[in-house]
Amino acid sequence: MQQTSQPAATVAAVKTTGNTWQTFKKPGTMQGKTQKPKAPPKPQQLHYCDVCKISCAGPQTYREHLEGQKHKKKEAAAKAGPTPSRHGASLRCELCDVTCTGADAYAAHIRGAKHQKVVKLHQKLGKPIPSTDPVVVGGTTKTSTTTAGATVGAKTTTSGAAATTGTLTAADGKKDDLKDDLLDLKEKDVEPVGQEYIEEIKNEEGKVISFNCKLCECRFNDPNAKEMHMKGRRHRLQYKKKVNPELVVEVKPSLRQRKVQEEKLRRQQLREEMWRRREEERLLEEEERWYWEERRRYEEECEYLDWCRRYPRGPPGPPPMMPPGMPRPPFMPGMPPMMPMRRPDSSDDRHVLAKHAEIYPKEEELGAIQKIVSNTEKALKMVSDYLAEVDAPKEQQVKPKAKKEKEDDSKGEDDKKDGEKKEDGPPRMLKGVMRVGILAKGLLLRGDTNVQLVVLCGDKPTRTLLDRVADNLPKQLAVVAMEDKYDIQRVVEEAALVVQNIGEQRISVNVTLTSPIMREQLLHDGDSQVIAAKDPPDVLDKQKCLDALAALRHAKWFQARANGLQSCVMVIRILRDLCQRVPTWGPLNSWAMELMCEKVIASAGQHLSPGDALRRVFEALASGLLLPGSPGLLDPCEKDPIDAASPLSAQEREDITASAQHALRLIAFRQIHKVLGMDPIPPPKFQRGGRFTRKRRRDNSTGEGNDSEGELDGGDGKKDKKEDGEDSKMDMDKETK
Amino acid sequence: MVMTRGRGRGMRGGMMRPMGPGPHFGPKMKQFVPRLPFDMVLCESAFPRVKPAPDESAFTQALLKRNADLSPTPAEQAAVLNLVTKIQAVMDNLIVDPGNFDACVSSQIEEVRQVGSYKKGTMMTGHNVADIVVILKTLPTKEAVEALGKKVCDDLRSQEPQEVLVLTMLPNDRGFEISNSEATVRVLVTTIHQNLRKLDPELHLDQKILQSHLAAIRHSRWFEENAHHSTIKVLIRLLRDLRGRFEGFEPLSPWMLDLLAHYAILNNPSRQALPINSAFRRCLQLLAAGLFLPGSAGISDPCEGGNIRVHTAMTLEQQDLVCLTAQTLLRVLSHGGYKQILGLEGNSSIASEMSVWDGVVVSALEKAYEKPPERPPQDDDTDNMDADDDPMETTDN
Repeated sequence: MQQTSQPAATVAAVKTTGNTWQTFKKPGTMQGKTQKPKAPPKPQQLHYCDVCKISCAGPQTYREHLEGQKHKKKEAAAKAGPTPSRHGASLRCELCDVTCTGADAYAAHIRGAKHQKVVKLHQKLGKPIPSTDPVVVGGTTKTSTTTAGATVGAKTTTSGAAATTGTLTAADGKKDDLKDDLLDLKEKDVEPVGQEYIEEIKNEEGKVISFNCKLCECRFNDPNAKEMHMKGRRHRLQYKKKVNPELVVEVKPSLRQRKVQEEKLRRQQLREEMWRRREEERLLEEEERWYWEERRRYEEECEYLDWCRRYPRGPPGPPPMMPPGMPRPPFMPGMPPMMPMRRPDSSDDRHVLAKHAEIYPKEEELGAIQKIVSNTEKALKMVSDYLAEVDAPKEQQVKPKAKKEKEDDSKGEDDKKDGEKKEDGPPRMLKGVMRVGILAKGLLLRGDTNVQLVVLCGDKPTRTLLDRVADNLPKQLAVVAMEDKYDIQRVVEEAALVVQNIGEQRISVNVTLTSPIMREQLLHDGDSQVIAAKDPPDVLDKQKCLDALAALRHAKWFQARANGLQSCVMVIRILRDLCQRVPTWGPLNSWAMELMCEKVIASAGQHLSPGDALRRVFEALASGLLLPGSPGLLDPCEKDPIDAASPLSAQEREDITASAQHALRLIAFRQIHKVLGMDPIPPPKFQRGGRFTRKRRRDNSTGEGNDSEGELDGGDGKKDKKEDGEDSKMDMDKETK
Repeated sequence: MVMTRGRGRGMRGGMMRPMGPGPHFGPKMKQFVPRLPFDMVLCESAFPRVKPAPDESAFTQALLKRNADLSPTPAEQAAVLNLVTKIQAVMDNLIVDPGNFDACVSSQIEEVRQVGSYKKGTMMTGHNVADIVVILKTLPTKEAVEALGKKVCDDLRSQEPQEVLVLTMLPNDRGFEISNSEATVRVLVTTIHQNLRKLDPELHLDQKILQSHLAAIRHSRWFEENAHHSTIKVLIRLLRDLRGRFEGFEPLSPWMLDLLAHYAILNNPSRQALPINSAFRRCLQLLAAGLFLPGSAGISDPCEGGNIRVHTAMTLEQQDLVCLTAQTLLRVLSHGGYKQILGLEGNSSIASEMSVWDGVVVSALEKAYEKPPERPPQDDDTDNMDADDDPMETTDN
């Protein structure tokens, strides 16, 4: 606003003053000029200089005055006409030829000693005294008063007082205009502002001796000056700048000010220009980076696809985990991807992935376990066949069944389980063998040497049955794996037998006998008393059998719920490691832990990266999931509401919670390595790119999130798993029938 | 310089600084939305109760009793109301008739608003202070604040000469306080938005202070619209009391507590206000689960643009402290220590020292936050963490 109106205003001001100079002021100055040569020759006691309006003591001083610079300046100025006022409007004292910026300044001048002196002098000389009314210069300047005053003065040279009145009357016609102008000025001047910023400085007696304006940082002694200062332009500008930005201050840019202003504007424009350019450059750079990032991703994806095409079975990274032709799908679903992991996400994710790779069993370990398990399974199947054969003569209908079984067998040796299942009815004592525990869930960690199998029996398993199996199993094992030696032990109190390989790495397979009938009896307690009475005398430990059944259900639940959940299996493995590593966490049983992880991660309602998932588990524990008063972990595999974590004592719950709370804060403050028990991983080298990937990967975590642990699942793993799940489901269906 | 740094870090999206509304990034730049921590109330369905919830009526009674103890007495309320009304009337006069005021003091009042706990109805007994924000049309100089204070005080005195009024200037010239024998009204000065840019730190009040006063107005307005539920007010009072008694909660600002209380009570699947006992526990649970830790979505300030998470106003060290205090208290609470937490029994040492409840030893927690070591220029991690550290300013570029 100000800036636009400013130049216009100044132009107008210049124009008007220019006009006055041409039209009105000229005669006035001419008159002054003509008067001057007249004045000196007049022999008078006083030597009076009309131009400078001063008297000199003698001719000598007068001459000196005329030659002085001051006089010459004045003379030149008079020739040029009245100096065009810099202000829009100002007041002039004609008598002293002084221009004042405002009514107050003018009043001060009139009151002032200098003016009084000139008036006295003029009275002495009998010179005309112009009106004390100010002459308004600039704006709508009416300088005609000068001429009026001069002419009147010429007429009445005798009395100064009369002259004054004379001027007044003579100037009457112009008076209205003049008053208007004065009013204008007054209005523009308004009230003084910012009185509270003017400090009174007092002397010791408490008398005010001077004033200090805090806004303008100036001092003055006169109370009048203070008044004037407060109305002054400079003060008002400061006030506007520092106190009330809405205060209107009339514009008055001098040439210099204008120049400064223009310079400022120019510089500002330059600066803006520079910023704009810089911004553009930044955007371009940004754009480019995005482009390359996009490009890189695309190439990576292409590469991956190519790879998949070349190795249709899936990435070659993890070699087949089991001998080909095995009936069982991979027993470690959710292998850590050896795949070219796209750069892992956050630092947390990187740590979790690294830790996971560290605790994940080696190929040899997996191979060894796989071997003994499959051998045991095959041998058990043959034991089952053998027992069926031995028992068969007692029953008449066995033969067709056996035939059927043979058919099944011919279909494929490996399909033995299916064969077993189809073969129902009472004759078979051993109906099937199933993997449970870490083996079924794929939670094996490095160094694990103990796995579990469950054999489902047609009737309640007895000690006799256990003995029969244990007796026959070595023979069958010898048939299945001739080159390997196995050691078999009976653990009657566990309702199990243990198969151990003989070699440098001892792996033991616990084979527990159980039967669905054990639970059926429990489920309908009322009418099952009759059956209970029929229990054979040497029936195996009931609780162990029930535990084995529960383990079966847990495995089934795990495959249905946890396996498909992103990051879940990985987090469970990490926590398993934690429970083994940290004594505080030891009491947390694995079933409760698995259940908790699944619930916590699934309830997030979004895909979580491994790091986020782990953090969320700690968050849940930290917020008191295990503490008394919490809802507890309802076991989905039990009929009655049971807290899966019920074995935990109050103190254990408390300790685990406190530990989780500390762990959560460690994770939040970038010390996840302390939680995981590993060394910190330095940030990736390619920081620039890394940054961007990370950003993007987080963004897209929903879309491609599975890659952390799912690359394998996505390939061939998933299908197998599903079958696997169905398999066991079928088993379960049977078992509960 | 600082600006660009902050920006750069934010861009990395490393931690959860949401991007400023930059038009130039287009659809490519998706925002990274930080994750909310585990919240039992939000995923209740995933955790069906094994056994019925324990009876908490004693706890609820204790909460209500504590609230009653904390609430101001009718006499106190009347005293504050009285003083506020008088001052408000004087100020209103100054707005309507600035003439005589203008002559001696050159500041003009745009608006006068009541804010803070008085306005929200969350005052505590023994703390009879009401807050009023005065918005000046003019730029707020120290002198203007002084003059305004004097003027208001003089007007009050002229109305009721027999009353003893004390006028105190607040530190940092943020305003002044007028107190009588029973109550205090704190008048906080700020200016209209347009003027904020024109401030000169040498002459005027600190811009941050002025902005905080403007924010106070927004806060009370938001509160009026969203958090008028009386359970929220009760909970706020209880949380303020908690903050006063446990050192570890010191860094939580009243505004954070307001938002936390509102969140704990109303942010649930049914959108029905939770009962006070659940809500109180939930506050501790949320804090313990790291709602106010780096990496958490926290609560974004409803009164500021650009998704500013309120807890980023705390330093990392403070965030750690608040979290660990809540974690310890949560464990104490779940072992039945509500009386100690509410201050009905015992002292605040339960937050920092070991205590025993029914044979269960509850130990205090250690700090997890470590000052990052002299950080090498390329270190992404600490850098990132820092990005979380500096409070919101950089976000609104």
